[in-house]
Amino acid sequence: MGQAIIQIDNISKRYKDASEFSLNDVSFTIHAGDKFGVFGPNGAGKTTLISIICKLFAQTSGTVHYFPTNGSELSIGFVPQDLALFEELTAQQNMEYFGAMYKLRKKEVKARTEELLSILGLSRVADKKVKTYSGGMKRRLNLAIGIIHNPEIIFLDEPTVGVDIQSKNAIMAFLNELNKKGTTIIYTSHHMEEAEEFCDKIAILDYGKVIAFDSLHNLYKSYNVSGLMEIMLLLTGKEYRDNV
Amino acid sequence: MYRLLASIKKELLILINDKVGLALMFVLPLLLVFIITIIQDSAFKIVNNNQISMLVANHDKGKLGTELTKRLSDSGMFEVTEDKKLDASGLKNKIAKNEALTGIYIAEDFSQKLTDLSSSVSTQMLSDFGIGEGEVKEVTNPTIQFVHDPVLQERYCQSIIGMVHAHIGSMESERMINSIYAEMGVDEVPEVITQKIGKNHVTINKMPASVNKKMVTPNATQHNVPAWTVFAMFFMVVSLGTNIVKERNSGSFLRIKTMPSSFGVVLMSKQAVYMMVGIVQVLLIFSMGAYVFPHIQLPELYLPANMLGMLLVTLLSTLTAVSYSLMIGAITKTQEQANGAGAISIIILAALGGVWVPTFVMPEFMQLLSELSPLHWCIEGYYILFLKNGNWGDLSRVMMILMSFSLTFQILTYLKFRFDKII
Repeated sequence: MGQAIIQIDNISKRYKDASEFSLNDVSFTIHAGDKFGVFGPNGAGKTTLISIICKLFAQTSGTVHYFPTNGSELSIGFVPQDLALFEELTAQQNMEYFGAMYKLRKKEVKARTEELLSILGLSRVADKKVKTYSGGMKRRLNLAIGIIHNPEIIFLDEPTVGVDIQSKNAIMAFLNELNKKGTTIIYTSHHMEEAEEFCDKIAILDYGKVIAFDSLHNLYKSYNVSGLMEIMLLLTGKEYRDNV
Repeated sequence: MYRLLASIKKELLILINDKVGLALMFVLPLLLVFIITIIQDSAFKIVNNNQISMLVANHDKGKLGTELTKRLSDSGMFEVTEDKKLDASGLKNKIAKNEALTGIYIAEDFSQKLTDLSSSVSTQMLSDFGIGEGEVKEVTNPTIQFVHDPVLQERYCQSIIGMVHAHIGSMESERMINSIYAEMGVDEVPEVITQKIGKNHVTINKMPASVNKKMVTPNATQHNVPAWTVFAMFFMVVSLGTNIVKERNSGSFLRIKTMPSSFGVVLMSKQAVYMMVGIVQVLLIFSMGAYVFPHIQLPELYLPANMLGMLLVTLLSTLTAVSYSLMIGAITKTQEQANGAGAISIIILAALGGVWVPTFVMPEFMQLLSELSPLHWCIEGYYILFLKNGNWGDLSRVMMILMSFSLTFQILTYLKFRFDKII
C-alpha cells in the first residue's frame, strides 16, 4: 500500500434548500497507486463526493486532506461524464487550449498532445473537427484532455459510457498503463464487470453514507459472494432509486 | 499571458467556424443599415422633394375655387389633378382606389361664402372705425372637404390642411382689402398692395443646431448609420450569450474549475474577442456609409472631427454590448433562452433607445424610460459626434453613463456565476 494521497475526514454535504444530506459523515483514505472505485445507486452521493474532492464546490462540514507526492499542490486530473469538448475545434486545438489552462508550457502541450493522441489512436484525426468524431473517439479525447498535465491522481466519471468495445478496451488498457506508472485512479461506473476487472479497492455509497469500503477480494469474502453486482444488490436492495 | 492568448485563440477559432454567427454579426448589419438608409432616404425625399398627389373636385360657381386650385398647384407641393365631374363620394372612391393620396371637394357656394365672409369682416371694420355705414350681414363660413388615403400619417394630413388654410387665408385677405377699397369708393386696389398682400415677407433660415462651427447637415445616413450600428453591436448577444450557455452546459466551465487557471481568463478572452467584433462592425458599417453610399446615390456619412471621441464612444459602446451579452449568457439556462431573451430584449431596448423613432417624439414617460436603455446612450454618444459636433464636455456624461452600465452588467454576471458556483 502506497502513502496516503487523499484523506477524507467526516465530510458532509447538504445542498441549499435540501432537507437531507447528500453526503453524511463520510471518511476514508485513498493511497497513492490505488485503483479505487466509488459505486452506488443513483442519488447515492458519488458525484457530490467526487465534486468535493475535485474542489468543484465546498462541503458543509468535514475536511479533505491532500498529500502531494511531488510539488506543493496535488495535481488532479478530472474526466467528467459530460463531453466537455469544443466540437467546432480539432482535437489538437482542444488539447492546446486545455493544456494552456493547465498552465503547461507551449512545448509541453505540443509534446503531450502528440503522445496522448497517438496512444489513444487519435493522431490520424488530430486536425479534424471534433464534431465529426464518433462517440468513442470523443470519449478518448475527453480522457486525453483530463490527463494532459500528467496528474498524480485522476477522477473518472463513467469514462466508457456509450462507447464501442474497441474504444472501451483502449481506454481501460490505457488507464491500467497509467496506474502501473504510479498514477492513482478514482473511478465511478455502472459497468460492474468493467469495475471488477479494473478496481482493486472500492467504496459503496448509499443515501450519502459509505456502507462498504475494502478491497474487492475482502468484500467477496465478507459477504460470501462472487461478484460486485451481488454485493451491490445485497447492500442497496432491489428497489428502483428514481429521484424526481 | 500564454493562457490568455490560448484562450483568445480558442474563442477566435470558434467564432470563425461559426459561419451563421459571422453572417449575423457582419453581413446582416451591413444589409440592415443599407436597406434602412435607402428606405429613410426615399421617405425623406418624398416629403421634401416629391409632390403629393391631390385630386380636386371643384364645383365652385365662382372664381375662387379655380384660384385656390391654381395656388395649390403653383405651390409645388402638390401634383394637382382637377375633375369637375366628381361628386364628394366619387372623390372618396377614387382616393380609396389609390388614384391620389389626397383630395379636396370645393362646394358650389365656396366663392360666394368666402366673399361674403370677407365683406362682412371689412364692413364690420369700417363700421368700427366710423367710416362705413354698411350693414354687417350674418354669414355662414365656407367649408372644404379634405379626403386622404388612410395610410397618410396624421402629421402629414395636418401639414396639408395647414397649407390649404394658408392659401385660403391669403385669398380671404385679398377679398377683404378689395371690399374695403370698394366701400371707400375706390374701384381698383393698387397693384403694389395686391402684391404685398400676396407675398410672405418673412424669410425663415433653416439651420441644424451644432456646438462648433463645422456643421453637417443631418440626413438619413447621418442618423441611421450610427443608430443601426449600435443595434448590430448589441445583437452580438445572440452569438456571445449562446456561446456562454453552450460552454457551461457542456461542462467545460466545470472542467476549467478543476484547472489551476482562473475563470477570469475565460471571461477576459471572450470579452477581448467580442470587443474586436464590435470594433470591426463599426469600421465596416461606417466605411460603407462614408465610401460606398456616395457611389450609390445615398447621402455620404461625414465622420466627426473628434476622432478620439469617436474611438472612445466606440470602445465604451462595444464594452457595454459585450457586458450585456455576458450577463444574458450568465442568467439564461439554455441556448433557446439565450437566443430568445437576447434578441427580444435588444429589440425592446433599441425601440426604447431611439433606434427606430427618435426619443424626442416619444411621450414624456417614454423619454424617461429610454434613459434606462444602454442603446440610447450609445446612440446619444454618436449623435453628439456625428450631428452636433459636440465637445468633450458633452461626451463625458454619456461616457460615464456607459461605463456605469458596463460595470453593472459585469457585476451581475459575476454574481450569477458565483451563485452557480462557477467562479
